[in-house]
Amino acid sequence: MPGYNSIEELRTALTNECYLTDDGLATVVFLALRLRKPLLVEGEPGVGKTELAKALSAATGAPLIRLQCYEGIDVHHALYDWDYPRQLLQLRAGGSTPLYSEEFLLRRPLLEALAQPGAVLLIDELDRADDEFEAFLLEFLSDFQVTVPEIGVIRAQEPPIVIITSNRTRDLHEALKRRCLYHWIDHPDLQREVAIARARLPHVGQQLADQVCAFVQDLRWLDLYRSPGVGETLDWVEAFHALGRYEIDAQTASSTLGTLLKERDDLERIRSGGGLDALIARSAERARSARQGNFG
Amino acid sequence: MIVGAHRRTPEQAIVVAAVGLARALRELGLSASVDAEHTFLRALTLIDVRDRTQMFWAGHCAFVHTPEELAVFEVVFERFWEGRPLILQEAGSEHGESDARMQGSHHGGEALPQFGGEARTAVPLDGAGNRAIQDIPTAEGDTGTSHQERGILAAWSDEEALSRRENLEYQPDELLALRLLAHEIRRQAPARRSRRARPSHHGNRFDVRGTVRESLATEGETFRLAFSAPTLRPRRLLFICDVSGSMERYSRVLLATLKAAIGAARKAEAFVFATRLTRLTKSLHGQDLERSLEKARAAVPDWSGGTRIGAALADFNASYGRRGFARGAIVLVVSDGWDRGDPKILAGEVERLQMQARRLVWINPRPMSVDRQPLAIGMRAAMPYIDDFVPGHDPRAVAGLAQLIGGLAGERPARRAVAPATAGG
Repeated sequence: MPGYNSIEELRTALTNECYLTDDGLATVVFLALRLRKPLLVEGEPGVGKTELAKALSAATGAPLIRLQCYEGIDVHHALYDWDYPRQLLQLRAGGSTPLYSEEFLLRRPLLEALAQPGAVLLIDELDRADDEFEAFLLEFLSDFQVTVPEIGVIRAQEPPIVIITSNRTRDLHEALKRRCLYHWIDHPDLQREVAIARARLPHVGQQLADQVCAFVQDLRWLDLYRSPGVGETLDWVEAFHALGRYEIDAQTASSTLGTLLKERDDLERIRSGGGLDALIARSAERARSARQGNFG
Repeated sequence: MIVGAHRRTPEQAIVVAAVGLARALRELGLSASVDAEHTFLRALTLIDVRDRTQMFWAGHCAFVHTPEELAVFEVVFERFWEGRPLILQEAGSEHGESDARMQGSHHGGEALPQFGGEARTAVPLDGAGNRAIQDIPTAEGDTGTSHQERGILAAWSDEEALSRRENLEYQPDELLALRLLAHEIRRQAPARRSRRARPSHHGNRFDVRGTVRESLATEGETFRLAFSAPTLRPRRLLFICDVSGSMERYSRVLLATLKAAIGAARKAEAFVFATRLTRLTKSLHGQDLERSLEKARAAVPDWSGGTRIGAALADFNASYGRRGFARGAIVLVVSDGWDRGDPKILAGEVERLQMQARRLVWINPRPMSVDRQPLAIGMRAAMPYIDDFVPGHDPRAVAGLAQLIGGLAGERPARRAVAPATAGG
């Protein structure tokens, strides 16, 4: 496992992967790596929970192994299964390898994470799985080992970095939370969102990024049904860029607003009654003052 | 060894302080377990303990487990960092954790006056009028609330009425009825098809993997074909119940019914609202029937308050609905639809809820036609978006509820049928 000696070092590494963290997240990720504890992250959709795992994997150079949870997920999807057709062939061919040996074991994400030293394991949307599955994860998360009855205990030489995400459709079990470090990711503030946009989309002009981000920041205060996440901000910036715009104008904004807002009610609310013009004027103003503030 | 308690090494001092912090947090209701303490201490060895930000986040990731706990942690950490006593005497009020039970009658700020031509005949008084002198809270500014009307209100609050101070006091036979109801719901709870199949002799899907697996035992010769059948899983049952003033006479039994449903169906969720929404699922969990009922009631700050159905449903949609609580669920709203808010808002939110739910059922305890209830403005607004409207179902007739739920398991309702008045009893 890569040793980051300080929080700053980790932060720089993540920044190089275009993932910008604030103090809280940097500290918590650093601690998760050093304490070798799973990290449970929650937050609004689109704040970069899944991206965190991807960035960590890229920064550490370790493979990313992803387990997408869903209702009814079980051992055969998460942990291991036997490769029956191959076992059958082996039997027919009269081979000598025992049928229930590692050779015929199909590794599913959790087992795979144990086999690859220092892998980044992303357990995505754990709240979608049933509570039984959570209980099953407990052994895995505390000891980084699993038991396959036919073979025995399989242990990780080097425990994986585990990132668990949840959308809070239900409360996760206390026992699971106790084994994890917890962090709630918020939407980034204006400055950081601009920085993210600039880092992810280096070909886009500063002014456009400033304005779009200021616009989105205002939107998030509007108590919409579905607030746009960072991913949608980036999409919108890209949309303007693709249409050859260098700043927000009302017409383009109105016609591309669907990149940002995905609810009919929200769209109607913003488009109607001059709301869009006011938001654009405000965002241009904020972008200008932010620039001046930076230089001053 | 004369180290003495006064002269601690810096390490000891840090440990003592950290344990003190954990203890204070525990006292304020956070689940600061020994594990968490341990994590925190280990974290301290890795960070710069002189740096406030690092300390804050180290404590945060160890002790805070939900966004709601953050506020308490912030306050306590602030004191911790400044070296002040961690818990003040009136710590509770400082964190805004007011005790709803202490507020008395002022809480009925928007209580809906419970009078109206039809109700007088509709509500049986069961001869309890003379002993019910309890004053139902009404807003001071509520127009048309005279003493005389208060008198009528008081007469309605028979022993079913629930004041916050009164004990719930369920009778043994009631508790037994609840257990029976739970059993019934468990039996009748609607199911949905799961994506997963399980091996079955009666199944109709040929299971290649299973067949090959079985043949391994016989040297690879296939003797028997394996089949699989789809599994059924419980569908989520989502109760959203009105406990406002106008529903007061049903509230006590409603609460008990919720308890039964939560205990019975593995995927049941309970929410109640008057002026705002409270999630009760957690409070209602637990083996001890009476205790969990008391706990649940204490968790509702606006018991018997006014009604704002639209706002409550908006709240639900924005916080829980968006996270997928209602997706594919059977949603049961229990309310008389007497709403003080804007009917347009209510209609919009009910529509939104319906779009997510598998089936939206509205149980209205008032027996008469909605058109004849002048106060049921909200009910009329919501009508077009309800899949099943069940009027006149007295929540106290709990036996019927399980049957009702069981009858809903069928297929997806035909939506957008214009005449919504298809009502079963």
